[in-house]
Amino acid sequence: MADIIEEKVKNYRTAPFDARFPNTNQTRNCFQNYLDFHRCSQALSDKGQDVSPCDWYQRVYKSLCPVSWVSKWDDQIETGSFPGKI
Amino acid sequence: MLSTVSRQLRSHPALVPLFIFIGGGMCMSGGYLVRLALGPHVSWNRNGNPEPWNKTEPTQQHKFYAVNMDYSKLKKEGPDF
Repeated sequence: MADIIEEKVKNYRTAPFDARFPNTNQTRNCFQNYLDFHRCSQALSDKGQDVSPCDWYQRVYKSLCPVSWVSKWDDQIETGSFPGKI
Repeated sequence: MLSTVSRQLRSHPALVPLFIFIGGGMCMSGGYLVRLALGPHVSWNRNGNPEPWNKTEPTQQHKFYAVNMDYSKLKKEGPDF
Protein backbone atom coordinates (compact mmCIF):
# COMPACT_ATOMS: atom_id res chain seq x y z
CA MET A 1 0.00 0.00 0.00
CA ALA A 2 2.72 2.45 0.98
CA ASP A 3 4.80 1.81 -2.12
CA ILE A 4 1.78 2.27 -4.38
CA ILE A 5 1.25 5.67 -2.78
CA GLU A 6 4.97 6.42 -3.04
CA GLU A 7 4.83 5.67 -6.75
CA LYS A 8 1.74 7.83 -7.18
CA VAL A 9 3.45 10.68 -5.36
CA LYS A 10 6.53 10.27 -7.54
CA ASN A 11 4.48 10.41 -10.75
CA TYR A 12 2.31 13.24 -9.47
CA ARG A 13 1.39 15.91 -12.01
CA THR A 14 -1.70 17.61 -10.63
CA ALA A 15 -4.74 16.97 -8.50
CA PRO A 16 -6.88 14.29 -10.17
CA PHE A 17 -10.59 14.57 -10.76
CA ASP A 18 -12.54 13.98 -7.56
CA ALA A 19 -16.13 12.92 -8.06
CA ARG A 20 -17.11 14.43 -4.72
CA PHE A 21 -16.30 17.92 -6.06
CA PRO A 22 -17.31 17.98 -9.72
CA ASN A 23 -18.03 21.67 -10.19
CA THR A 24 -15.87 24.70 -10.84
CA ASN A 25 -15.77 25.74 -7.19
CA GLN A 26 -12.98 23.60 -5.70
CA THR A 27 -12.85 25.31 -2.30
CA ARG A 28 -14.18 22.29 -0.50
CA ASN A 29 -11.77 20.01 -2.36
CA CYS A 30 -8.87 22.14 -1.10
CA PHE A 31 -10.13 22.21 2.47
CA GLN A 32 -10.97 18.51 2.51
CA ASN A 33 -7.50 17.52 1.37
CA TYR A 34 -5.92 19.85 3.91
CA LEU A 35 -8.02 18.24 6.65
CA ASP A 36 -7.27 14.76 5.33
CA PHE A 37 -3.53 15.42 5.36
CA HIS A 38 -3.57 16.48 8.98
CA ARG A 39 -5.99 13.74 10.05
CA CYS A 40 -3.89 11.14 8.23
CA SER A 41 -0.66 12.40 9.81
CA GLN A 42 -2.22 12.38 13.26
CA ALA A 43 -3.83 8.95 12.84
CA LEU A 44 -0.71 7.27 11.48
CA SER A 45 1.60 8.86 14.01
CA ASP A 46 -0.77 7.84 16.80
CA LYS A 47 -0.55 4.27 15.55
CA GLY A 48 3.21 4.60 15.28
CA GLN A 49 3.28 3.99 11.52
CA ASP A 50 5.17 5.83 8.83
CA VAL A 51 3.50 9.12 7.91
CA SER A 52 4.75 9.26 4.31
CA PRO A 53 1.53 7.94 2.64
CA CYS A 54 -0.14 11.17 3.76
CA ASP A 55 2.08 13.08 1.33
CA TRP A 56 -0.50 12.40 -1.40
CA TYR A 57 -2.98 14.67 0.37
CA GLN A 58 -0.32 17.29 0.86
CA ARG A 59 0.55 17.35 -2.83
CA VAL A 60 -3.13 17.67 -3.74
CA TYR A 61 -3.88 20.53 -1.39
CA LYS A 62 -0.72 22.33 -2.38
CA SER A 63 -1.91 22.11 -5.99
CA LEU A 64 -5.40 23.34 -5.22
CA CYS A 65 -5.24 25.81 -2.37
CA PRO A 66 -4.11 29.42 -2.55
CA VAL A 67 -0.86 29.91 -0.66
CA SER A 68 -2.40 32.56 1.59
CA TRP A 69 -5.06 30.13 2.78
CA VAL A 70 -2.49 27.44 3.54
CA SER A 71 -0.28 29.79 5.52
CA LYS A 72 -3.29 31.16 7.40
CA TRP A 73 -4.47 27.68 8.32
CA ASP A 74 -0.96 26.63 9.33
CA ASP A 75 -0.74 29.64 11.64
CA GLN A 76 -4.14 28.80 13.06
CA ILE A 77 -3.08 25.24 13.73
CA GLU A 78 0.00 26.47 15.53
CA THR A 79 -1.97 28.83 17.74
CA GLY A 80 -4.70 26.25 18.25
CA SER A 81 -7.51 28.27 16.68
CA PHE A 82 -8.05 26.16 13.55
CA PRO A 83 -11.81 25.82 12.92
CA GLY A 84 -11.73 22.41 11.27
CA LYS A 85 -11.89 19.12 13.09
CA ILE A 86 -8.61 17.22 12.96
CA MET B 1 -60.26 32.38 -2.85
CA LEU B 2 -60.30 29.08 -4.75
CA SER B 3 -64.01 29.48 -5.61
CA THR B 4 -63.29 32.94 -7.05
CA VAL B 5 -60.48 31.57 -9.16
CA SER B 6 -62.49 28.58 -10.42
CA ARG B 7 -65.47 30.80 -11.25
CA GLN B 8 -63.24 33.14 -13.24
CA LEU B 9 -61.57 30.20 -14.94
CA ARG B 10 -64.91 28.80 -16.07
CA SER B 11 -65.70 32.07 -17.83
CA HIS B 12 -62.17 32.32 -19.31
CA PRO B 13 -61.11 28.75 -20.08
CA ALA B 14 -58.13 29.90 -22.12
CA LEU B 15 -56.34 30.64 -18.84
CA VAL B 16 -56.07 26.97 -17.87
CA PRO B 17 -52.76 26.38 -19.71
CA LEU B 18 -51.35 29.30 -17.73
CA PHE B 19 -52.06 27.46 -14.51
CA ILE B 20 -50.67 24.24 -15.93
CA PHE B 21 -47.39 25.82 -16.94
CA ILE B 22 -46.95 27.88 -13.80
CA GLY B 23 -47.83 24.91 -11.63
CA GLY B 24 -45.46 22.69 -13.58
CA GLY B 25 -42.66 25.22 -13.23
CA MET B 26 -43.20 25.51 -9.50
CA CYS B 27 -43.17 21.73 -9.12
CA MET B 28 -40.00 21.36 -11.14
CA SER B 29 -38.12 24.07 -9.26
CA GLY B 30 -39.35 22.75 -5.92
CA GLY B 31 -38.32 19.26 -6.91
CA TYR B 32 -34.84 20.41 -7.84
CA LEU B 33 -34.50 22.23 -4.54
CA VAL B 34 -35.46 19.03 -2.74
CA ARG B 35 -32.89 17.11 -4.81
CA LEU B 36 -30.24 19.63 -3.83
CA ALA B 37 -31.25 19.49 -0.18
CA LEU B 38 -31.05 15.71 -0.02
CA GLY B 39 -27.73 15.54 -1.87
CA PRO B 40 -24.39 14.56 -0.33
CA HIS B 41 -22.89 18.02 -0.64
CA VAL B 42 -24.90 19.60 2.18
CA SER B 43 -24.44 18.81 5.85
CA TRP B 44 -27.62 19.22 7.89
CA ASN B 45 -26.40 17.69 11.13
CA ARG B 46 -23.06 19.15 12.14
CA ASN B 47 -22.48 16.76 15.04
CA GLY B 48 -23.99 13.56 13.70
CA ASN B 49 -23.11 13.69 10.02
CA PRO B 50 -20.49 16.38 9.47
CA GLU B 51 -19.14 15.40 6.04
CA PRO B 52 -21.65 13.36 4.04
CA TRP B 53 -19.69 13.78 0.79
CA ASN B 54 -17.02 11.50 2.19
CA LYS B 55 -19.47 8.64 2.46
CA THR B 56 -20.06 8.31 -1.28
CA GLU B 57 -18.40 5.96 -3.74
CA PRO B 58 -15.62 7.35 -5.97
CA THR B 59 -17.69 6.39 -8.99
CA GLN B 60 -20.87 8.12 -7.89
CA GLN B 61 -22.05 11.00 -10.02
CA HIS B 62 -23.06 14.03 -8.00
CA LYS B 63 -23.97 16.30 -10.88
CA PHE B 64 -27.36 16.41 -12.49
CA TYR B 65 -26.04 15.92 -16.00
CA ALA B 66 -22.42 15.20 -16.83
CA VAL B 67 -21.10 15.59 -20.36
CA ASN B 68 -18.11 13.52 -21.44
CA MET B 69 -17.26 11.99 -18.09
CA ASP B 70 -16.77 8.27 -17.64
CA TYR B 71 -17.51 7.75 -13.97
CA SER B 72 -16.97 4.01 -13.97
CA LYS B 73 -13.19 4.28 -14.24
CA LEU B 74 -12.57 6.43 -11.17
CA LYS B 75 -11.04 5.08 -8.01
CA LYS B 76 -10.14 6.40 -4.59
CA GLU B 77 -6.89 8.26 -4.76
CA GLY B 78 -5.50 8.87 -1.32
CA PRO B 79 -4.44 6.35 1.29
CA ASP B 80 -6.75 5.11 4.04
CA PHE B 81 -6.05 5.99 7.63
